[in-house]
Amino acid sequence: MKFRFIALVLLLAQPAFAQLERKLASETQEVELIFHAPRHINLLTVEPLDKKTLHFAIMHTFGPLNGGIQNLYGLDNGANIQFSFEYALSDKFSLAASRSSRDKFYNLYGRYHLLTQTQDNKIPFSLSLMGGAGVNTSDYTFLQEANPNFTDRTSYAAQIMIARKFSDKISLQVSPMMAYFNDPNPIYLIDGDQNLYLALGLSGKYKITGKSSLTFQYIPNLNSDLRSNVGVGIDIEAGGHVFQMYFVTSQALNEQYLLASNNGRIGEEFRIGFNVNRVFATGRRKK
Amino acid sequence: MKNLIVFFLFLFILTISRNAFAQVYKTEVGNVEFLSKASLNEFTGESAKLNGLIDLEKNVLDFFIDLNTLKTGIGLRDRHMRENYLETKKYPFAEFVGKIKEVVSLKPGESQNVTAVGKFKIHGVEREISVPGKLTALSVNEVKLDAQFKVLLSDYNIDIPKVVFYELAEEQTVTLSVNLKK
Repeated sequence: MKFRFIALVLLLAQPAFAQLERKLASETQEVELIFHAPRHINLLTVEPLDKKTLHFAIMHTFGPLNGGIQNLYGLDNGANIQFSFEYALSDKFSLAASRSSRDKFYNLYGRYHLLTQTQDNKIPFSLSLMGGAGVNTSDYTFLQEANPNFTDRTSYAAQIMIARKFSDKISLQVSPMMAYFNDPNPIYLIDGDQNLYLALGLSGKYKITGKSSLTFQYIPNLNSDLRSNVGVGIDIEAGGHVFQMYFVTSQALNEQYLLASNNGRIGEEFRIGFNVNRVFATGRRKK
Repeated sequence: MKNLIVFFLFLFILTISRNAFAQVYKTEVGNVEFLSKASLNEFTGESAKLNGLIDLEKNVLDFFIDLNTLKTGIGLRDRHMRENYLETKKYPFAEFVGKIKEVVSLKPGESQNVTAVGKFKIHGVEREISVPGKLTALSVNEVKLDAQFKVLLSDYNIDIPKVVFYELAEEQTVTLSVNLKK
């Protein structure tokens, strides 16, 4: 009996093939892709860039749809086009330059990512800051009065972006925003006459398939009588690019003009908009 | 009392039998790389967090990697890869469990070509594959494994984009270079 027991133990003593325990490399994980890209329709998002990567976005908004087929639903009216390049100096901070054709407007801005939502909900939302200054470089020499000087052409924008991915499908962002124009000259292609504009940017994403989402933006103005901006669209991620197609009520593309421009009535004066986002790696990777 | 002595004796046998015969090499910092060579875009993804075990006595091996550690050099691309292609939240690991076909007997400094046959699992799909590799004994306590194999994404239900299909290759080449220690 005892020998049988010994034999059994010896048999068991043969080291059994022990599989390695499957464990994740890091315990706390950040929530990723709250939005598909650093842009969401017209607004910036909390989506960060990694150090030394460059985000290139080209955005267009066309004329109003209500011109019908005669104007090919606004495409004949010419687009406001904005190019932007955003370069990440670190994983938290990036600097960007953009140029919109409307008023030949150059904008310089930075984004800083203060908080990143984590999967264990210790940090329940992501928070990023944005601040920038821009200048209108349109030629006004045809004016009777003096050409606006550089200071008069300058305007500023700032916002706090707070976003949360509520589920795999739904993400929302709230962005209290402000814009300040040194001189809201009526010759500029803005509609407001105030210096300071306050608004609340709301961005939403609803994922419909693995690589596409319905998108939504609403930017209620808080201190002006201008109609608020509304946009609905679709984001499609296509191997390296993120395409964003949408209907929006304003042709404005940068933050200052978004807040200071009047918007068309929903349904009647929607415009087609189209963004392409692409991220490039710069510098050589370490082997 | 006697039973207790017998028990400790067994324990002792158990311990020495493990130490004396075990030919188990392990690592948690193996290198793995995949190469995607599509017509318009070629890129690699790398990780140095490959976990592996080779048992030369039993001729078995077991490898796994946390796919969250794969980096392609562009963060947004990594995030898209994790969320939409590999779906790492659902399937965090790629793993291979198999046997070495050949009998391996290596003296330090020698190397031998080997073939591993077993199950490769990624994106929740498991398939039987065969991987050729080279095993080198660096010392009594260290072996190096170099291996390369190809993975067809469609075999593992990983969709490649239909709109811009020239960016991501259907066939990925996976290269391993791993030092394992006793």
